[in-house]
Amino acid sequence: MGREVSESCVDNLMIEMVSAYCNRFYSTKPELAARRIEAIGYQVGHQLSERYTMERPRFSDHLEAIKFICKDFWAELFKKQIDNLKTNHRGTFVLQDNRFQWLTRMSIDPSPANADLSQDSSGETAENRAVQITSMHLYFPCGIIRGALSNLGIPCAVSVDTSNLPACSFVVRIKA
Amino acid sequence: MIVCIAVVGHQNNPLYLQSFTEADDALKLHHIVHCSLDVIDERVNNPKKTGSTLNETYLGLLYPTENYKVYGYLTNTKVKFILVTTHLDVRDADVRNFFRRFHSAYVDAVSNPFHVPGKKITSQTFAERVSTIVKSFGLSSAV
Repeated sequence: MGREVSESCVDNLMIEMVSAYCNRFYSTKPELAARRIEAIGYQVGHQLSERYTMERPRFSDHLEAIKFICKDFWAELFKKQIDNLKTNHRGTFVLQDNRFQWLTRMSIDPSPANADLSQDSSGETAENRAVQITSMHLYFPCGIIRGALSNLGIPCAVSVDTSNLPACSFVVRIKA
Repeated sequence: MIVCIAVVGHQNNPLYLQSFTEADDALKLHHIVHCSLDVIDERVNNPKKTGSTLNETYLGLLYPTENYKVYGYLTNTKVKFILVTTHLDVRDADVRNFFRRFHSAYVDAVSNPFHVPGKKITSQTFAERVSTIVKSFGLSSAV
Protein backbone atom coordinates (compact mmCIF):
# COMPACT_ATOMS: atom_id res chain seq x y z
CA MET A 1 0.00 0.00 0.00
CA GLY A 2 2.73 2.47 0.88
CA ARG A 3 5.87 3.21 -1.05
CA GLU A 4 8.74 0.77 -0.61
CA VAL A 5 12.45 1.24 -0.18
CA SER A 6 15.10 -1.41 -0.75
CA GLU A 7 16.62 -2.93 2.37
CA SER A 8 20.16 -2.07 1.39
CA CYS A 9 19.22 1.61 1.44
CA VAL A 10 18.08 1.27 5.03
CA ASP A 11 21.23 -0.67 5.98
CA ASN A 12 23.43 1.98 4.41
CA LEU A 13 21.49 4.73 6.13
CA MET A 14 22.07 3.06 9.50
CA ILE A 15 25.79 2.74 8.88
CA GLU A 16 26.11 6.33 7.72
CA MET A 17 24.07 7.63 10.64
CA VAL A 18 26.32 5.94 13.20
CA SER A 19 29.40 7.08 11.34
CA ALA A 20 28.15 10.66 11.07
CA TYR A 21 27.24 10.94 14.74
CA CYS A 22 30.42 9.29 15.99
CA ASN A 23 32.96 10.79 13.66
CA ARG A 24 31.56 14.14 12.66
CA PHE A 25 28.92 15.52 15.01
CA TYR A 26 30.08 14.37 18.41
CA SER A 27 33.54 13.04 17.62
CA THR A 28 34.91 14.06 21.02
CA LYS A 29 31.94 12.88 23.05
CA PRO A 30 30.95 9.33 22.22
CA GLU A 31 28.42 9.15 25.06
CA LEU A 32 26.52 12.08 23.60
CA ALA A 33 26.57 10.48 20.16
CA ALA A 34 25.22 7.28 21.67
CA ARG A 35 22.42 9.17 23.45
CA ARG A 36 21.43 11.01 20.27
CA ILE A 37 21.32 7.78 18.27
CA GLU A 38 19.24 6.13 20.97
CA ALA A 39 16.85 9.10 20.99
CA ILE A 40 16.37 8.80 17.24
CA GLY A 41 15.60 5.11 17.76
CA TYR A 42 13.14 6.05 20.50
CA GLN A 43 11.10 8.25 18.19
CA VAL A 44 11.17 5.66 15.41
CA GLY A 45 10.04 2.92 17.78
CA HIS A 46 7.29 5.17 19.13
CA GLN A 47 5.86 5.77 15.66
CA LEU A 48 6.34 2.22 14.41
CA SER A 49 4.54 0.75 17.39
CA GLU A 50 1.58 3.01 16.62
CA ARG A 51 1.45 1.61 13.10
CA TYR A 52 1.95 -2.06 13.86
CA THR A 53 -0.56 -2.27 16.69
CA MET A 54 -3.31 -0.87 14.54
CA GLU A 55 -5.25 -4.01 13.80
CA ARG A 56 -4.72 -5.75 17.09
CA PRO A 57 -6.80 -5.91 20.24
CA ARG A 58 -5.28 -4.34 23.33
CA PHE A 59 -2.64 -6.14 25.36
CA SER A 60 -3.68 -7.31 28.77
CA ASP A 61 -0.27 -7.37 30.46
CA HIS A 62 3.43 -6.70 30.03
CA LEU A 63 4.24 -10.20 28.86
CA GLU A 64 1.84 -9.91 25.93
CA ALA A 65 3.38 -6.63 24.88
CA ILE A 66 6.88 -8.13 25.02
CA LYS A 67 5.68 -11.11 23.02
CA PHE A 68 4.27 -8.72 20.45
CA ILE A 69 7.71 -7.08 20.22
CA CYS A 70 9.38 -10.46 19.83
CA LYS A 71 7.06 -11.80 17.17
CA ASP A 72 5.10 -9.32 15.08
CA PHE A 73 7.15 -6.17 15.60
CA TRP A 74 10.50 -7.85 14.97
CA ALA A 75 9.04 -9.69 11.98
CA GLU A 76 7.88 -6.41 10.46
CA LEU A 77 11.27 -4.82 10.96
CA PHE A 78 13.68 -7.66 10.22
CA LYS A 79 11.52 -10.37 8.59
CA LYS A 80 12.31 -12.78 11.40
CA GLN A 81 11.27 -13.23 14.99
CA ILE A 82 13.31 -13.05 18.14
CA ASP A 83 14.85 -16.47 18.65
CA ASN A 84 14.76 -16.70 22.40
CA LEU A 85 12.92 -14.88 25.16
CA LYS A 86 13.87 -15.26 28.80
CA THR A 87 12.42 -13.57 31.84
CA ASN A 88 12.97 -13.56 35.55
CA HIS A 89 9.28 -12.80 36.12
CA ARG A 90 10.32 -9.70 38.03
CA GLY A 91 10.42 -7.18 35.25
CA THR A 92 13.54 -8.21 33.33
CA PHE A 93 13.33 -9.75 29.88
CA VAL A 94 16.15 -10.93 27.65
CA LEU A 95 15.42 -10.96 23.93
CA GLN A 96 18.00 -12.95 22.04
CA ASP A 97 18.43 -12.68 18.31
CA ASN A 98 20.90 -15.20 16.94
CA ARG A 99 21.52 -13.39 13.73
CA PHE A 100 20.76 -9.72 14.09
CA GLN A 101 20.29 -8.27 10.65
CA TRP A 102 22.26 -5.08 11.07
CA LEU A 103 25.26 -6.94 12.45
CA THR A 104 25.55 -9.64 9.82
CA ARG A 105 27.49 -7.53 7.39
CA MET A 106 29.83 -6.06 9.93
CA SER A 107 33.49 -6.91 9.40
CA ILE A 108 36.15 -6.07 11.93
CA ASP A 109 39.70 -5.50 10.80
CA PRO A 110 41.66 -8.20 12.72
CA SER A 111 45.11 -6.66 12.37
CA PRO A 112 45.95 -3.98 14.95
CA ALA A 113 46.07 -0.52 13.32
CA ASN A 114 48.83 0.90 15.52
CA ALA A 115 51.77 -1.44 15.79
CA ASP A 116 53.56 0.41 18.59
CA LEU A 117 51.13 -0.76 21.25
CA SER A 118 52.65 -3.58 23.22
CA GLN A 119 49.95 -6.16 23.40
CA ASP A 120 50.40 -9.36 25.28
CA SER A 121 47.16 -10.83 24.03
CA SER A 122 46.29 -9.25 20.73
CA GLY A 123 43.20 -11.39 20.34
CA GLU A 124 41.61 -9.87 23.40
CA THR A 125 42.11 -6.26 22.36
CA ALA A 126 40.87 -6.99 18.86
CA GLU A 127 37.72 -8.40 20.40
CA ASN A 128 37.39 -5.33 22.63
CA ARG A 129 37.63 -3.10 19.63
CA ALA A 130 35.03 -5.19 17.86
CA VAL A 131 32.69 -4.84 20.80
CA GLN A 132 33.27 -1.09 20.95
CA ILE A 133 32.56 -0.57 17.29
CA THR A 134 29.48 -2.73 17.21
CA SER A 135 28.02 -1.30 20.41
CA MET A 136 27.61 2.04 18.67
CA HIS A 137 25.50 0.38 16.01
CA LEU A 138 23.28 -1.25 18.59
CA TYR A 139 22.07 1.93 20.30
CA PHE A 140 19.54 2.47 17.54
CA PRO A 141 17.71 -0.87 17.95
CA CYS A 142 17.79 -0.38 21.73
CA GLY A 143 16.04 2.92 21.19
CA ILE A 144 13.50 1.31 18.90
CA ILE A 145 12.57 -1.25 21.53
CA ARG A 146 12.40 1.39 24.27
CA GLY A 147 10.23 3.68 22.14
CA ALA A 148 7.86 0.91 21.16
CA LEU A 149 7.42 -0.33 24.73
CA SER A 150 6.93 3.13 26.21
CA ASN A 151 4.27 3.90 23.63
CA LEU A 152 2.48 0.75 24.81
CA GLY A 153 2.58 2.14 28.32
CA ILE A 154 5.62 0.25 29.63
CA PRO A 155 8.51 2.53 30.62
CA CYS A 156 11.74 0.57 30.54
CA ALA A 157 15.49 0.65 30.03
CA VAL A 158 17.07 -1.38 27.25
CA SER A 159 20.68 -2.46 27.02
CA VAL A 160 22.42 -4.92 24.78
CA ASP A 161 24.85 -7.71 25.39
CA THR A 162 27.08 -8.77 22.51
CA SER A 163 29.16 -11.63 23.74
CA ASN A 164 29.17 -13.42 20.44
CA LEU A 165 28.39 -11.68 17.19
CA PRO A 166 26.22 -11.75 15.11
CA ALA A 167 24.01 -12.90 17.93
CA CYS A 168 22.98 -10.23 20.40
CA SER A 169 20.73 -10.10 23.43
CA PHE A 170 18.62 -7.10 24.32
CA VAL A 171 18.00 -6.80 28.05
CA VAL A 172 14.78 -5.00 28.88
CA ARG A 173 14.29 -3.81 32.45
CA ILE A 174 10.82 -2.58 33.18
CA LYS A 175 10.71 0.40 35.55
CA ALA A 176 8.42 -0.49 38.39
CA MET B 1 -24.63 13.66 10.90
CA ILE B 2 -21.30 13.63 12.56
CA VAL B 3 -21.05 16.62 14.83
CA CYS B 4 -17.57 16.29 16.20
CA ILE B 5 -14.54 14.03 16.24
CA ALA B 6 -11.80 14.15 18.86
CA VAL B 7 -8.47 12.48 19.51
CA VAL B 8 -7.29 12.38 23.10
CA GLY B 9 -3.84 11.22 24.16
CA HIS B 10 -3.00 8.75 26.87
CA GLN B 11 -2.67 11.44 29.53
CA ASN B 12 -6.08 12.76 28.52
CA ASN B 13 -4.46 15.62 26.65
CA PRO B 14 -6.36 16.75 23.55
CA LEU B 15 -4.57 16.02 20.32
CA TYR B 16 -7.19 16.91 17.77
CA LEU B 17 -10.69 18.30 18.00
CA GLN B 18 -12.77 19.09 14.95
CA SER B 19 -16.43 19.96 14.79
CA PHE B 20 -18.48 19.68 11.65
CA THR B 21 -21.49 21.84 12.38
CA GLU B 22 -21.91 25.50 11.63
CA ALA B 23 -23.40 26.19 15.03
CA ASP B 24 -21.14 27.91 17.49
CA ASP B 25 -21.33 25.37 20.29
CA ALA B 26 -17.70 24.33 20.45
CA LEU B 27 -17.74 24.59 24.23
CA LYS B 28 -20.62 22.18 24.55
CA LEU B 29 -18.83 19.69 22.32
CA HIS B 30 -15.66 20.00 24.38
CA HIS B 31 -17.73 19.29 27.46
CA ILE B 32 -19.33 16.21 25.92
CA VAL B 33 -15.93 14.87 24.85
CA HIS B 34 -14.54 15.49 28.32
CA CYS B 35 -17.36 13.60 29.99
CA SER B 36 -16.94 10.70 27.65
CA LEU B 37 -13.33 10.33 28.81
CA ASP B 38 -14.65 9.37 32.23
CA VAL B 39 -16.91 6.78 30.69
CA ILE B 40 -13.99 5.31 28.77
CA ASP B 41 -11.88 5.07 31.91
CA GLU B 42 -14.71 3.34 33.68
CA ARG B 43 -15.20 0.88 30.85
CA VAL B 44 -11.53 0.03 30.68
CA ASN B 45 -10.91 -0.34 34.38
CA ASN B 46 -14.04 -2.27 35.25
CA PRO B 47 -14.52 -4.60 32.34
CA LYS B 48 -17.72 -6.49 32.06
CA LYS B 49 -17.37 -10.14 32.78
CA THR B 50 -17.99 -11.15 29.18
CA GLY B 51 -14.44 -11.95 28.09
CA SER B 52 -14.93 -11.38 24.39
CA THR B 53 -15.15 -7.61 24.69
CA LEU B 54 -12.29 -7.36 27.14
CA ASN B 55 -9.51 -6.15 24.91
CA GLU B 56 -11.24 -4.88 21.87
CA THR B 57 -10.25 -1.52 20.53
CA TYR B 58 -13.80 -0.50 19.61
CA LEU B 59 -15.71 0.49 22.73
CA GLY B 60 -19.09 1.09 21.18
CA LEU B 61 -21.76 3.49 22.30
CA LEU B 62 -20.49 5.26 25.37
CA TYR B 63 -23.53 7.17 26.40
CA PRO B 64 -26.45 8.87 24.69
CA THR B 65 -27.31 12.46 25.59
CA GLU B 66 -30.53 14.19 24.58
CA ASN B 67 -29.46 14.96 21.02
CA TYR B 68 -26.22 13.12 20.50
CA LYS B 69 -24.71 9.71 20.60
CA VAL B 70 -21.08 9.30 21.62
CA TYR B 71 -18.91 6.44 20.40
CA GLY B 72 -15.46 5.56 21.66
CA TYR B 73 -12.40 3.71 20.42
CA LEU B 74 -9.24 2.99 22.37
CA THR B 75 -6.00 2.07 20.63
CA ASN B 76 -3.17 -0.06 21.94
CA THR B 77 -1.16 3.02 22.69
CA LYS B 78 -3.92 4.38 24.94
CA VAL B 79 -5.02 7.01 22.46
CA LYS B 80 -8.76 7.58 22.47
CA PHE B 81 -10.92 8.49 19.51
CA ILE B 82 -14.32 9.99 20.31
CA LEU B 83 -17.11 10.41 17.80
CA VAL B 84 -20.17 12.54 18.50
CA THR B 85 -23.06 12.11 16.10
CA THR B 86 -26.69 13.08 15.79
CA HIS B 87 -27.48 10.37 13.31
CA LEU B 88 -30.67 8.70 14.40
CA ASP B 89 -30.17 5.18 13.11
CA VAL B 90 -26.43 4.81 12.82
CA ARG B 91 -25.28 1.22 12.34
CA ASP B 92 -22.53 -0.39 14.39
CA ALA B 93 -20.71 -1.56 11.29
CA ASP B 94 -20.60 1.98 9.94
CA VAL B 95 -19.03 3.30 13.11
CA ARG B 96 -16.47 0.50 13.20
CA ASN B 97 -15.60 1.19 9.59
CA PHE B 98 -15.29 4.87 10.35
CA PHE B 99 -12.93 4.24 13.26
CA ARG B 100 -10.82 1.90 11.21
CA ARG B 101 -10.27 4.50 8.51
CA PHE B 102 -9.76 7.21 11.08
CA HIS B 103 -7.15 5.11 12.88
CA SER B 104 -5.32 4.62 9.63
CA ALA B 105 -5.29 8.38 9.00
CA TYR B 106 -4.13 8.99 12.57
CA VAL B 107 -1.23 6.54 12.23
CA ASP B 108 -0.11 8.27 9.06
CA ALA B 109 -0.29 11.68 10.75
CA VAL B 110 1.69 10.50 13.76
CA SER B 111 4.38 8.89 11.58
CA ASN B 112 5.25 12.35 10.32
CA PRO B 113 8.81 12.98 11.54
CA PHE B 114 7.95 16.60 12.25
CA HIS B 115 5.09 15.70 14.53
CA VAL B 116 5.99 15.96 18.20
CA PRO B 117 4.29 13.20 20.18
CA GLY B 118 2.01 14.75 22.77
CA LYS B 119 1.41 17.96 20.85
CA LYS B 120 -1.65 18.67 18.76
CA ILE B 121 -1.83 17.31 15.26
CA THR B 122 -1.42 20.20 12.87
CA SER B 123 -1.19 18.36 9.59
CA GLN B 124 -3.32 19.73 6.80
CA THR B 125 -3.35 16.36 5.07
CA PHE B 126 -4.80 14.75 8.16
CA ALA B 127 -7.56 17.35 8.35
CA GLU B 128 -8.46 16.75 4.72
CA ARG B 129 -8.51 12.99 5.10
CA VAL B 130 -10.67 13.27 8.18
CA SER B 131 -13.19 15.49 6.41
CA THR B 132 -13.30 13.00 3.52
CA ILE B 133 -13.97 10.14 5.90
CA VAL B 134 -16.62 12.16 7.72
CA LYS B 135 -18.39 13.07 4.48
CA SER B 136 -18.57 9.45 3.41
CA PHE B 137 -19.85 8.29 6.77
CA GLY B 138 -23.31 6.85 6.58
CA LEU B 139 -23.54 7.38 2.85
CA SER B 140 -23.30 3.69 2.21
CA SER B 141 -26.29 3.17 4.46
CA ALA B 142 -28.44 5.58 2.43
CA VAL B 143 -29.70 2.99 0.02
